[in-house]
Order: sequence, then structure tokens, then C-alpha cells
Amino acid sequence: MMLLAVAAIAASGAGLVGAAFRERPGDGVDRALRLCLGSALGLGTWSAAYACSRMLGVSSAAKDWALLALGLCSFAAASRRRSAPVPSSREPAPRWLWFLLAAACAVAAAAFFEHNRRFPDGGWDAWMIWNMRARFLERTSDLRTAFSSGLSFRAHADYPWLVPGAVAQAVVLAGRERIVSEAVAAAFGILATAIVPLSLARVHGARWGLLGASAVVSVPSFAIFTSNQQADVPLAVFLSSAAALIALAYSRPERPLGMLALAGFAAGLGAWTKNEGSLYAACLGAGLLWRARDLRATLAFASGAVPAGILLLAFKLTLAPPNDLTYFSTPALLLAHALDPLRWGDLLVRLFRRIVFFQSFGLWLFAEAVVVAFVIRRLPSTPVGAALLLASAGLMLLYVLQPHSLDWIVRTSVDRLVIQLWPTAVLVTLPELARTTART
Amino acid sequence: MTREQITAAVAALTVVGMARSAWFHFVAEPRHDVMRTPIDPRYDELRPFLPRSGQLGYVSDEGVATGAPGRDLDLLGSRRFDQAQYALAPLVLRYDDQGAALVIADLRDPERLQEILREKGLVVVAHPTPGVALLRRR
Repeated sequence: MMLLAVAAIAASGAGLVGAAFRERPGDGVDRALRLCLGSALGLGTWSAAYACSRMLGVSSAAKDWALLALGLCSFAAASRRRSAPVPSSREPAPRWLWFLLAAACAVAAAAFFEHNRRFPDGGWDAWMIWNMRARFLERTSDLRTAFSSGLSFRAHADYPWLVPGAVAQAVVLAGRERIVSEAVAAAFGILATAIVPLSLARVHGARWGLLGASAVVSVPSFAIFTSNQQADVPLAVFLSSAAALIALAYSRPERPLGMLALAGFAAGLGAWTKNEGSLYAACLGAGLLWRARDLRATLAFASGAVPAGILLLAFKLTLAPPNDLTYFSTPALLLAHALDPLRWGDLLVRLFRRIVFFQSFGLWLFAEAVVVAFVIRRLPSTPVGAALLLASAGLMLLYVLQPHSLDWIVRTSVDRLVIQLWPTAVLVTLPELARTTART
Repeated sequence: MTREQITAAVAALTVVGMARSAWFHFVAEPRHDVMRTPIDPRYDELRPFLPRSGQLGYVSDEGVATGAPGRDLDLLGSRRFDQAQYALAPLVLRYDDQGAALVIADLRDPERLQEILREKGLVVVAHPTPGVALLRRR
């Protein structure tokens, strides 16, 4: 069963990536990027298919056989019509940059293991939400218990369950719950570190890839969030996968629709990972429409997001209890919050203070703010950049409208949002900087 | 800016981030923070006495937040309740549920069990671990 599950993940990842990339792999960077995208999407598909199988009463083995067959068919069909490879950009990187990245990875890995040792059940979110849900899924056949409205609001039974689905299945197959949940977290951490840099290296060259990897892995809270087994890192993986695929598609004159559909699929998996993922998927679609002004591309992206969208809708309509944000909100409260200038001002002050929160982000957010304000100095010109701007605006609106204390909710959530968005912000920012060097 | 300047700036930021991580994880945290104990062992002895599924009441000698999430999340009682829920899934725990036939007592101070039994009209079914007991209505 374990082998079947691994084969199902590998085949579905290979089938999805094979269908989107019409040309043969150009070089090692291209192969590594496809491998990482395939791993992320394969793992996500495996978990989303598990949710479908649980909701429809289909056995897990039948689901894995179906994924294996579909993945192999898609990969075989794609292999027959491959075109000539598109070479990666050849800009080399200084050798010392490789050593710096190796050191940053070593520190992050050591921090991950140290944090695991200190917090044997992961962070608060891990045992309160994600791994608790995995235990429900693994220990009961009754989904209504796993998403019972009798559970505390703090258990967030309304959250989608990509991460719990992956952990629950892996625990059933491999046992050893603690190691399995840590391994799933580590896998997503590695993918979050790899996908954006490989995509940058593919389009702009090795230097920019290495800079991107350093910018992701050396954020102090990145290793902690990975070790905490929170769903924010997996969401960052799916959001950045979608963003990387859009950026890749727009680096080519033919704008391949298959790549954009796969971007939509990745964004859909993000929506199946955390509620914020739905906002990000919508913003990526809107960013495409706004900046690319290409309806076909937007429709291709949207069509890719349909499978996960249907799954999410089915879950929310049939199983999910009320979300605390909606349960404790009233129309009068929403209006009062939206029109309260002090609340907006309070939020802005709190967000500005977080930009210089050295403990979590080192100087990275400050540097990003400086680059956006003084180097780039214009509205984003790419679909992904526009999506990030829209997502930031959407999150600010949600902060203002939500019913809880602003102090509490910003303090407990803003770092997660930064971790979700950071790899994609790196993907947007470094090419802008690369363009400024092209002019000098 | 030249690409060399950008590379140097990103490298400097990377070094700052690495240094912060290394300081926090290998110097500050070992000195000032405690190692967390695993959650499950506290409830291991209770498991044989519990049903396989369903809802159970939960009582404690500490406050447990039941409403909207907020500052009261920081209550130690809320954390203990949430950890019990994690450990005992797929049972669903209901804090201070007057109608529950079976109730888990999860106490910070084990000496307060008798007081809680009197207050709530409960009797002990099993008391395998200090501070953790299975109770039922009298």
C-alpha cells in the first residue's frame, strides 16, 4: 500500500507537469523545477483525492489506483508530443553565493531539528488544528465527527484539509505519527525553498535563483513555521507554484495555456490548504485579467482551479461548521468596522511595526519595503505582482472587517500571512531588480 | 544598482537572517525557554476507560474559553482543554456540558478533585493518573 501511494503521488505529479510542459526538459534546472512542481502537485492531488474519496465513500486504495492510472496516461500522452527544449537563462552565479546558500540551508535545517526537539507535538496550530484533524480522519470513519460543530472554535473545523489529509494517510501507511507529520512538514519546507528559486534560475539565470533561495530560507521564522507543522508553508508552496507557472508562461511568447491551467490547479490546491488560499487564487485570476488583459489565459487559469474549487464548495456546503469570522460577525459590525478610520489607522500602524519585526523576519521585510518604495516605484506590471498587491489589499480589508480584537488577531496571524506570501514576493521582486540592472 | 551590488545586499540580508536564527535557536532559546513535554502521555492511562467515539463532558479547575477566539486563548485552562481534545480525538470534548453522561476531569491541582465532584454532582469511574479522571453523573 505504501508503494502504491508513492506511485500514485509520483504519477499524478508527473502527469500534471507533463501535460503542462510541452517541450522536453532543457537542462538540470528545468528538470529540478519540474521535479519539485510535480512533487508538490502530486502530494496535493493525493490529499485532495483522499478528501474526495472520503466524502464519496470510495476506498483509499481505489483512489490511489485511479491516480496512478490517470497520471501514467497523461504522462504517456504528453511524452509522445514533446517539442524541442527551451534552454534556461545562462547567467552564472559567483561561487561564493553557493557556499552562502549552503550555510543558510544548514542553519535552517539545524533550527528545524532543534525546534522539533523542543516542541515534540509541533506548534499550537499543529496540535490544535492540523494534526488534530489528521487524528480524527485517521481514527474515525465518520466525517461528521471530524468536523463536528461541537468542537471548540479554536479547532477551526471549517478549515480545508489538504495537510491533515496527507498526514492522516501517511500515518495509516507508515505509523509513527510524530515522524510522519515532521516529514510532511519538512517536505513542504524544502519545496517552498526550491520552487521559486528554480523558477527564477530557469528564466533569469543561476545568480537570481541563488539569491531567491537565500531570501526564502534565511527568513528567521521560516524554519520555525516549517517545524511548527503549520499549513502556512504548504500554502506558500501552492501559491508560489501557481505564481511560478504564471511567470514561466509569461516568459514565453506563446503563453502556453496548459501551464496557466496548471497554475490554476496549484492555486486550487492552495484554496484546499487554508481559507486564505481562496483569496490568493481569486487574486491570481484577477491579476491575470488586470495585467495580461488576456481572457483566454484567465479562463485557462480558472479552469485549472475548478476541481479543487468543487471539492472546497462541497466541503463547505455539506460538512464544515460555521467559520468563527462569519459566526461572530453581523452586518452592523461589518459596516461599523469598515467605516471606522481609527481601526484602519490602528491596522496600518501595527502592520508598519511588523515590517521592522527583527525577531521574525530579520531585515527582509524592511528591505522589501525599501525596494518597492525607492527602487521599483510603480504599480506591479506583471500578473503575479498585481495578484500580490490585490491579496495584500484583500487581507487588510479582512483584518478591518473581522470581529475579533485587532491587537490579538494581527499579533497571532500576520507572521503566517507573511510566510504564505514571502516566496511569491521574492519571485516578483528579484526579476524587477534584475530588470533595473539590465538598464544600468 | 548593479547586479553585484544587489547580490551583496541580498547576501548581507541572508547573513543577518542566519545570525538571528542561530542566536535564537542555539543560544537564547536553550537558555530562556523550557522543553515542551509531549501531550499524549498525560492521557495514556485514561484511554482504556474511554468509549471509542462520541461526545464527553470536560471539567477543570481552571478557566476554559468557550466563545470567540481572543485574548482568553492565553488561559492555561484553555490550552489544557485543547491539548486533551488533541490527545483524545476522535472523542469530542464539551466543556462543562451538564448533559454529558461521562465527563473527563483534567485538573491542574489534583487535590481539587473531591471539591469538583461535590460541586458538579459527579462520581469517579476511573482515576488512573493524578489530575486526570473519568467521571459520571451521580
